[in-house]
Amino acid sequence: MNTEERKLGDLLHQITPEPPRPVTVEQVAYRLVSEPKLRREPRPRRRGPLFSRALAPVLAAAAVVVIAGASAGIAVLANSHHTPPSSAGGAPASSATSSATASSSPSQTSSPTQQTTPTTRIAGGPWGAELINHQTFSQGSLVSANGSLYAFGTGTLDRIDPATGNIAATAQANPPLPTPPVIIGNTVWVLWSYSGGNVVLHAFDAQTLAPIRSVLVPAIGPVAASSGSNVVTSGPDGHLYVAAGETVAVVNPDNGQLIRRIYLTAGTSDSVAVSPDGSRLYVGVGRTEVLIYDLSSDTVITSSSLAGTDSVGDLVATSGGVWGTTGTGMSEWTWFAPSGDLARAVRIGAGAGGGFASLPSYSAGVVWVGGSHTLSCANPANGRVLDTVTLPTDHNVVEYFSSPVISGDHAYSDYQDNASQLSGLVRMTPPAACTANVSS
Amino acid sequence: MDTLTGVEHLAEPDGFRDFVEARSSALLRSGWLLTGDWPSAEDLVQTALAATWPRWSSLRRQDAPELYVRKIMVNTFLRWRQRRWNGEIATGRLPETQAYDVFAQVDARQSLLAALDRLPARQRAVVVLRYFADQTESQTAEAMGCSVGAVKSHASKALARLRDAPGLAELMTGGVAS
Repeated sequence: MNTEERKLGDLLHQITPEPPRPVTVEQVAYRLVSEPKLRREPRPRRRGPLFSRALAPVLAAAAVVVIAGASAGIAVLANSHHTPPSSAGGAPASSATSSATASSSPSQTSSPTQQTTPTTRIAGGPWGAELINHQTFSQGSLVSANGSLYAFGTGTLDRIDPATGNIAATAQANPPLPTPPVIIGNTVWVLWSYSGGNVVLHAFDAQTLAPIRSVLVPAIGPVAASSGSNVVTSGPDGHLYVAAGETVAVVNPDNGQLIRRIYLTAGTSDSVAVSPDGSRLYVGVGRTEVLIYDLSSDTVITSSSLAGTDSVGDLVATSGGVWGTTGTGMSEWTWFAPSGDLARAVRIGAGAGGGFASLPSYSAGVVWVGGSHTLSCANPANGRVLDTVTLPTDHNVVEYFSSPVISGDHAYSDYQDNASQLSGLVRMTPPAACTANVSS
Repeated sequence: MDTLTGVEHLAEPDGFRDFVEARSSALLRSGWLLTGDWPSAEDLVQTALAATWPRWSSLRRQDAPELYVRKIMVNTFLRWRQRRWNGEIATGRLPETQAYDVFAQVDARQSLLAALDRLPARQRAVVVLRYFADQTESQTAEAMGCSVGAVKSHASKALARLRDAPGLAELMTGGVAS
């Protein structure tokens, strides 16, 4: 360390305060019980993450006793969790490319990634899961439309070829809140700015991700800049529904014009969802309450809240009601409220812990619920779980599968394995139970 | 909700309590530097210790439980930042109000947290691991799942940013009045 680094270290030690209270073993035990997978014993014949490639020389340098013969087995054992298939699964890179257009928009498309990633089977993964790329995406941002997948990467909006996992086009985008891209026709809408009294949306060409236009939606009152999620959605009428302060703004995506506002009876909108038939609008307010509006008259039908929690968001609407996510701290789970009545809400799936999210997705007429414990599909009409599978762990560290979306015959999920420092897009083949005889 | 029963049936590993009691303060302080608030720091430390519990025996044999705990903390923090979509909203921070604080320390903490908030997550993690937790570059690389070169790069960029952070440069050269 040089002098500057030493001074920074001294400063950090000097002014970092003492904690107000210690962590106790009892608190840790409570977490273990609430996250059962953490309790499992280590799998045999697999080394802990501390013995991954990078640490071996560290331990040697630190004169830590290493079990004899360990180094010889590191590579094989470290890879045992993710074994490549016998045949090369990677198809040639897509020829699709993005084209940067001369535009006044602050977003410019850039050259897509053209390298092909060999598919990797995930040991114990659900529904034949195989990793088809190694990109990192924002949780809950993956959507499927027009034969492509879309997700937010690190500061980017990416279009992904589901056949290869390649990034077919990319554009700069960094939504300020967890709101997935909204695809209407051949346009991808992205939340660009959400602060003060305005909402800014940007539109991109769904194929090339070239910027098309920006739309400013004035809010009434301040927007829920710190608590919003899913603040933009689309209805079957092809309009955009935007949580805009004390209102929900209905916007014509063709010309960016405000069609009308739906005024809330109280509070600030922080999540919106429209039923598939376009009759109902679900509005999350203050992360505690959901209001239901009749869209034929724009009048409120009812409101309800989820017992025992002060966190409700990420709304998704289906024919049978509304779905969302709740949770506190670093544990989240998905609920389903029949007919939108949160007083009758039931928990779906086993949720997620450790900072992962369990956000519902509605794709191909089925609701999907991922997380770090189970992966489930459920009937959108009544919330009944059609199939569920336990997710694997890696060296007792949970593996995360986001709620899948469907493209073609496959389901796609954002995957993260913290123990192996592996992430990317996973392709799965869901069972017939998930897709047969489902009435949306 | 999960039924939170069965805590009494968990077998506490030998030496685990001693480790928690001895190191939780240091781990919490690292968590505070990573997240900027105590509830989140407690979340991080509890999660990391819970992940450590089932592996305690082997980690203890390797004499490396703290390294593992810090690795889980950092990766949980990085995931958490990703979950939040890197959408931090710049807000004013309320000063710590502990009785022993003097104004200079309060100001220094505010300057420090403001400067750390401006760092990308991985740079912030490197600063905490290298300069607060006193981890070597190799240990930091292992904890973050990256190369030593990447650690050096993150550290260099972080130092450059901190050097330009309002209020912090003076602290790094002049220290904090106590």
